[in-house]
Amino acid sequence: MSHTALSRRTLLRGTGTLMALPLLEAMLPRTVRAQTAAVPRRLAVFYVPCGIHMAKWTPSASGRGWALTPTLQPLAPVKDDVLVLTGLSHWPGRPELNGHHAAGTAAFLTCARARKTAGTDIYVGISMDQVIANHLQGATRFPSLELGNDAGTGVRACDSSYSCAYSYNIAWAGPSTPRPKETRPRAVFNRLFAGFDPGESQAELEKRRAYERSVLDFVREDARALQGRLGATDRRKVDEYLTSVRELERRVDALEPDGPMCQPGEAPVNTDDVRAKTRAMMDLIVLAFQCDLTRVVTFMLGNARSDRVYDFLGLSDTHHTYSHHQRVQSNYDALAKIDRWEVEQYAYLLHRLKAVRETDGSTLLDSAFVYFGSEVEDGNSHGHSNMPVVVAGRGGGALTPGRHVRYSGEPLANLFISLMQGMGVNRSSFGEDGTGPLRGLKE
Amino acid sequence: MKGPRHRLRRPGVWVGVASVLLLAGCYGNSTQKVTTTVPRTEPEAPPDPVGEAEVPRDACRQPRDPGRVSLHRLNRAEYDNTVRDLLGDTKRPARDFPADDISSAGFDNDADVLSMSPLLLEKSSAAATQVLEDAWRKGTLRSCRLDVEDPMPCARELLSRFARRAWRRPVMDSELERLLSLVTLSRQQGDGSEPGMKLALRAVLLSPHFLYRVELDPAPASPAPHRLTDLELAARLAYFLWSSTPDEPLQTLAEAGELHEPMVLEEQVRRMLADPKAQALVENFAGQWLYLRAVDAAAPDPALFPAFDESLRRAMRQETELFFREFLTSDRPLRNMLDADFTYVNDRLAAHYGLPLPGSDTPRRVSLEGHPERMGLFAHGSLLTVTSLPTRTSPVKRGVWVLEQLLCSAPPAPPPNVEGLPPPVDPSASLRQRMEQHRSDPVCAGCHHLMDPIGFGLENFDAIGRWRRTEEGSGAPVDASGTLPGGTAFEGVTGLRPLLKEDARLGECITHQLLTYALGRGLTEADTCAVADITRQAEARGGRWQDLIIAITGSEPFTHRRGEPEEDTP
Repeated sequence: MSHTALSRRTLLRGTGTLMALPLLEAMLPRTVRAQTAAVPRRLAVFYVPCGIHMAKWTPSASGRGWALTPTLQPLAPVKDDVLVLTGLSHWPGRPELNGHHAAGTAAFLTCARARKTAGTDIYVGISMDQVIANHLQGATRFPSLELGNDAGTGVRACDSSYSCAYSYNIAWAGPSTPRPKETRPRAVFNRLFAGFDPGESQAELEKRRAYERSVLDFVREDARALQGRLGATDRRKVDEYLTSVRELERRVDALEPDGPMCQPGEAPVNTDDVRAKTRAMMDLIVLAFQCDLTRVVTFMLGNARSDRVYDFLGLSDTHHTYSHHQRVQSNYDALAKIDRWEVEQYAYLLHRLKAVRETDGSTLLDSAFVYFGSEVEDGNSHGHSNMPVVVAGRGGGALTPGRHVRYSGEPLANLFISLMQGMGVNRSSFGEDGTGPLRGLKE
Repeated sequence: MKGPRHRLRRPGVWVGVASVLLLAGCYGNSTQKVTTTVPRTEPEAPPDPVGEAEVPRDACRQPRDPGRVSLHRLNRAEYDNTVRDLLGDTKRPARDFPADDISSAGFDNDADVLSMSPLLLEKSSAAATQVLEDAWRKGTLRSCRLDVEDPMPCARELLSRFARRAWRRPVMDSELERLLSLVTLSRQQGDGSEPGMKLALRAVLLSPHFLYRVELDPAPASPAPHRLTDLELAARLAYFLWSSTPDEPLQTLAEAGELHEPMVLEEQVRRMLADPKAQALVENFAGQWLYLRAVDAAAPDPALFPAFDESLRRAMRQETELFFREFLTSDRPLRNMLDADFTYVNDRLAAHYGLPLPGSDTPRRVSLEGHPERMGLFAHGSLLTVTSLPTRTSPVKRGVWVLEQLLCSAPPAPPPNVEGLPPPVDPSASLRQRMEQHRSDPVCAGCHHLMDPIGFGLENFDAIGRWRRTEEGSGAPVDASGTLPGGTAFEGVTGLRPLLKEDARLGECITHQLLTYALGRGLTEADTCAVADITRQAEARGGRWQDLIIAITGSEPFTHRRGEPEEDTP
């Protein structure tokens, strides 16, 4: 009944701001309304490389009486919205011999052991965000968004003999198909809002769909004909292409006449300053959620085994160098500064999510799961028995935040099962060691 | 592909597939071989003992396997250059594409790891729309006018011409008809022919025939070698030397079936190397082989190295680029890169090096007569900076770079949990003293006796490539002496340089690097004989880069391919 719906553009034109805009139920596109009557739940993942210096991370008291530690201090304004989970293990992240960062990152959301290879035969597992994205297929324009600050290094050197794919990606559509991330904020913005034409009629939209489909039909036919003339490896390459064509097709089918349900505001500028870039990426996550363009976002603050130099924190060596702290106090101090800065960025995201109201008056953060983690525990020992984990948000009631919960080695995969269930996926096992939902997330 | 594919990591003989690996298993004259064995699913063969292992001659007389390159997706640089050459578009749209994976061989043009993803296809679609819209507006594509009543003759001409260049081969009638049906579609929708033309042009740029370099085997499951078609050869040449699509002369020769003739091929190589587009070899081959791409991300500590700024960074990169570019077309043997008596500096970099100022902000070619320490690649600020840590030099990184990139004898990764320096027991100790730990610990000694001495030889260059006699931190005098595994002692860069220049592994290693890049695939054991042959041929012709390039372009792996036997299991 689009002709009776209020035009959001009418309401929002000229406001030019993203902050705290109320969404009216009548303004939601039909697809969204058909999907769920309630406010949708959303998942964001915030990955930081090289582990965490746990001594300054771990709260001493558990339950509601926990106190912020030096590293977690930036969470003060949202302390009641976060769950600090300690004692969770992540054994699938252990590499064969070397390559903790690659193996840990490959397992980060897959809870699977990565095959040690640098060739075409990369193999790990589907990541939990992609399980959710598959489940929500069609609900939003983008099944998921993959974002990050760093593209490649430009030269050889990822981690040990593991493919760079394991170090650059945390989202895996399947065991051998990473979903690469975008690293330029402006390009992300343009992609989010491409193809929305405010003045477009239903007939014009139909025509545009027909045109887009005609191009995709053409190239699909090319690919199929080609595939019949190729050997096994190349046929798999064309499979990747055909899968991509199918996803583009779904995007075309999902084109909405209404356009986005919010004003995008100004496009961010591209920058190499990691502070500005991270902020821009956090803003884009909020924007994508607010406009309901996707409900699943993963973000990598850096690639695995990051060699970033945090000069603006007064540090001169690389993150990875410091993370091999060798129990030297000055390295601990440097790591604590980096860790705290990372938590500040996460806190900024939470703060932004909390500032946006849903149709029912709750905040975006209330309905979200926002997961923070790293590929290893401590960067020197490369441990996997006590991972640094925070989950923020209430997950629409699935979580009772404001607590520190201690575990004794339960697998991280079980937390992911809980998150997947919270997102509506009916699943009771996951990855290599996930056996059921994690206790203690709700009181 | 089932198991891991075994890559040849260095010239010389492949030691075979061992099921166990000596932990930290570097050979050489270490007396402290560690005997722990660790079961492995993937062998990491240790490097050869120095000067070992000729390929048995007989093995090279057998019928050769030319190998096969997987369906090769254009990487970002190739995409950008290709649309530049097709449409005159220089906006580099692929900068917004997701980063290309870098293979274990060290290059981002490895067909095996260049994958396709929904994001990439979406970005390619957006890029195609944009570049075509711009080209249409500028009139680049409109060599005829689309008649309102009868647009098809012109549409046919435009599309067949464009698709022929974009797909690097003549277009079949059936393909052309399918493209033209998109023009019909927009006419049926009442939009006239122009939107349909744009759809068809977009379809050309989104087709697998554009996004991939397609090479076909007559029998896709047969391992029997066969020659590439001339069109496939033209594409290989163009993407090797230009990282771009064949130009009209090359494609015309290929369509005439003449390109594979050795004289024609060689003439084309020379023409292409002289073309400004050969700068792609500098950016993409040297950029990765010499780690030049890492210069942009180098981050020396501003407190310790305030002299390092953007203009110095740029001058360093330009120095090595111009230096390599000159070698590419000059008559100097490529080996002379290691001790060349010239370089390119502007005033800023000359002052940094302690050389006479050339009186210019742009780099000038200068003679290094009287400055033996600055001769050759090892004295380049770019290389010295990217193989340092932000706060100090790293003899290990420098040693590994030489072993890996110049001698193809990379040591295996360190055993778990020994990365980084041990705690500095005494802050006044010299770096050299701290690194003695490597030798005192048998787990480390096996490999570090290969890496460290080379790095020690370069210790007179600080972390941003300045000449120094004392270490910044400890104030200790620099000790740049070393002893190579064979027992040869040397003193400083001038002593080390000739040893590396004469190293038997150098020639085949550079062949190995360039052939890997030329083919866009990792080399395997089966390429060993080809590497040896190419190296011999190039040496016999004068040992210049152009000799090596010509030897490669005429070689079996470059001109032939084979199918891939089907595996039994699904």
